[in-house]
Amino acid sequence: MIERAPISADPSAKLNINVNGREAVLDVPPSKRLLHVLREDLGLTGTKRSCEMGRCGACMVLVDGKAVNSCLAMAYQCEGKSVTTIEGLSEGGLTPVQQCFLEEGGYQCGYCTPGMVVSVTAMLANDPSPSDADIEEALSGNLCRCTGYGGIWRAVKKAIELKKEQTG
Amino acid sequence: MLLNRDTSGRRWRIRPDGPGKVTGELEYLTDLSLPNMLIGRVLRSPHPHAYIRSVDVSKALALPGVHAALTAKDVPGLNRFGIARPDYPVFCEDRVRFIGDAVAAVAAESDELAELALAAIEVDYEPLPVVDDPERAILGDSPLLYEEGNVFHRNGYKFGDIEAGFAAAAHIVEETYSTPRQMHTYMETEGGLFVPGEDGRLTAYSPTQHGFMDRMQLSRILAKPEEDIRVVSSPIGGSFGGKDELNVQPYGALLALATGRPVKLHNSRWESVRAGLKRHPMKITMKTGVDAYGRLVAHRAYVIADKGPYSTLGAEVLNFATEHVVGPYRFKAVDVDTVSAFTNNGMSGEFRGFGGNQAIFALEGQLDRLAALLGMDPWELRRRNLRRAEDPGPLGQPISVTGGAGQVWASLEGSALWRRRSEPPASAPSAPWLKRGIGAAYVMHAAGLGVGIPDPAGGRLQLRGDGKIEAFFGYEEFGQGLIASLMQMLIEMFGFAERDIVITIGDTDVVPDSGSTTASRATSMMWQSLRRLRGPFAGKLLEAASRALALPAETLAIGEDGIRGAKDGRLLLSYAALAGAAGQPIAAQTHFSYPTSPVDRVGAHYMYSYSAVAVEVEVNTLTGRVHVVDQYHAVAAGPVVNPQGYLGQIEGGSSMALGFALTEDAVMSGGHYLTKNLDTYLVPTIVEQNGAVTVDAIEELPEGDEHGPRGLGELGSVGLAPAIAEAVYQATGKRASKLPIDPALLQEPIRFN
Repeated sequence: MIERAPISADPSAKLNINVNGREAVLDVPPSKRLLHVLREDLGLTGTKRSCEMGRCGACMVLVDGKAVNSCLAMAYQCEGKSVTTIEGLSEGGLTPVQQCFLEEGGYQCGYCTPGMVVSVTAMLANDPSPSDADIEEALSGNLCRCTGYGGIWRAVKKAIELKKEQTG
Repeated sequence: MLLNRDTSGRRWRIRPDGPGKVTGELEYLTDLSLPNMLIGRVLRSPHPHAYIRSVDVSKALALPGVHAALTAKDVPGLNRFGIARPDYPVFCEDRVRFIGDAVAAVAAESDELAELALAAIEVDYEPLPVVDDPERAILGDSPLLYEEGNVFHRNGYKFGDIEAGFAAAAHIVEETYSTPRQMHTYMETEGGLFVPGEDGRLTAYSPTQHGFMDRMQLSRILAKPEEDIRVVSSPIGGSFGGKDELNVQPYGALLALATGRPVKLHNSRWESVRAGLKRHPMKITMKTGVDAYGRLVAHRAYVIADKGPYSTLGAEVLNFATEHVVGPYRFKAVDVDTVSAFTNNGMSGEFRGFGGNQAIFALEGQLDRLAALLGMDPWELRRRNLRRAEDPGPLGQPISVTGGAGQVWASLEGSALWRRRSEPPASAPSAPWLKRGIGAAYVMHAAGLGVGIPDPAGGRLQLRGDGKIEAFFGYEEFGQGLIASLMQMLIEMFGFAERDIVITIGDTDVVPDSGSTTASRATSMMWQSLRRLRGPFAGKLLEAASRALALPAETLAIGEDGIRGAKDGRLLLSYAALAGAAGQPIAAQTHFSYPTSPVDRVGAHYMYSYSAVAVEVEVNTLTGRVHVVDQYHAVAAGPVVNPQGYLGQIEGGSSMALGFALTEDAVMSGGHYLTKNLDTYLVPTIVEQNGAVTVDAIEELPEGDEHGPRGLGELGSVGLAPAIAEAVYQATGKRASKLPIDPALLQEPIRFN
């Protein structure tokens, strides 16, 4: 859950936000959705727009490490928060999760993929060896219309396996 | 061959477009923006059916920051579009016929301002009676959408003595099947960026399934030569047929030309729902007779489709359904009558499966019901009536000969899932209200556009100055893996390395017209193109290399990185050096048409693929919910071009069939959508799709076959739905003839014994 920040009465108030490790001060209305702040004000278009009501997960980002539909978070709610987008996850090259999606064919059109990768990353950060039921719960808010989730299941299982091998 | 990553070995490759997709770096056309761009929005009708008395945009135009507000009178060319028949108004002049109809469009400096401008447009409507039931629409007393009547298209097919067939039948089944208004639900809604150039040209960056078709239609609307329009159309965040027709392009193009500034449009999900295409809802009534041995002696089918207000490819979809309600079976007599009716409901149109999904759900339902009456194994009943390889097609037309029909039948018969039916369950259900059942369905599905419809194909290969082999095709990448399949064929058929190859698609300024990326045709046509290009292109490369190296061409071979010794494989000349030595571009081009059947029947198909699908379900009789536990797909579609893509088409297609069978329906009432977004329109999630999916890819083709890989893109989206309906019957004894299956049908009162 995102904690509610007080709504500023000052129209000249700025949004202080850390995005992908960089501090930003943005002149945006407090009610602007984080999705649009990212895409329009910061040009981070890896975060996708689709249902804009928190059902499809295409706009998933990490806010203070937790997976959040950026279409449901308003700018004022992100005051002082740290946001990680798909671009942030990818800064040091492909993550193991991304590598597994690539190898197992966990995507087709790719439009849901950034959100899916963010949700899987958040899930594994929280629990490195989730059960099938845990996976279903963690990813039930990410719709994929192309793959039928076959490649996504394979990618997630592979990522869990890799994590296990790494931690011995 | 059981198809998976392990059995595919080195043929399982990472897609060239994959890294950009998993990192979010790939820019979709709706991600594009320019510093001075305007935002475009479209005003759509609030009424399903109404006269327009007047439209006044003056207040919108007076708002500071609003740069254009356009209506029908601002369209310089044809105020209509539509691939088959241009009857869809860009802007309605005097009448709206559904709630997606556009009346005006604005371009403003922000989305908020554009929305405000839409609200400032004054339209005076006079509501008309709403035609929302296709069956009533074609009765004499229905209000009319058009003076000519509400019948949009009729078709039919007959042979044999149908009455004698029914008279001789031991059993007859009569049933009416209904199918939902399924939505494509591509994750990327329609949109794009429209950029006027200083040279007077216009570039439309917007997803479509056939860039040249969009260019032609935009040319007609804008009254601007086709050469002055460039359509950039890939990559695409899903389409499934839904972006085949024009959608936002006319508005983006008109607004960009009117303002002289780039204009971006990107539909909200609700706008996509209200204006976008859906699968034609169909009601299919069948009467089918069988003799005591199980021979199908008579088959009557009546199909009525809900067209919505404009043509799209509705006639072609109905023709496809006419062909597929007959399907792969050797009926003694057939009488098919089909009609598509105009209504004020949502727009129906092209959608993966193209009328086959509805037709085959009904046809397979008949076979299962007849088997039950006969007391016969339903798969055995199919065997007794199944077409032979040399039989004509469903409409009596010659078709390409394969053994696919028998092969997929046998594969399913021998599958572990199907054999499990006759075995006692491995364990008792975990709760008394959970019931399991297994069902199967058979699919014969056509590809290509069919007789009488232009269906061009082709492509070009070129050695670039920098030594890259560039492949140009006019096909689109909407996720199916077209780029990956093309890359794989170039590597396997020519011997190039991936690093040698550059693929260029989706840009009308540089690609040849390869025809549409629809009808399960693109991979087949790329394979055909490369087969035709292999000799000429390799010949030209070797000829130039022979001159450069002063060696006989027959001692040389094309390979990874360049020209190699034919015997020892040693690299003799890199492609860059060859390009330099040749001095002029080395290229080869091919142009041909999709093969068609030699008959005089519009839309009849020549190429077919086959699949057989078995499914195990678990029905919760407390909730009425159906869970798919295990799936088996036998697929005969010729050689596997790209294993990951092939598997993905079957897994992904079947997920759409699962939604079609169990949860998906864009519900309408009185011409209004009740399901406006993904909170009520339910596509399968990972929870619904957690069962095993096994795919047996049968690659074998008859000796001397020239057609190679068959259509695959739609095949997987068909068979699971009828198989689920039969599995539900096996579990519960209840027949579902209406999709999606209503949970209320399957709910049982709790009994305490």
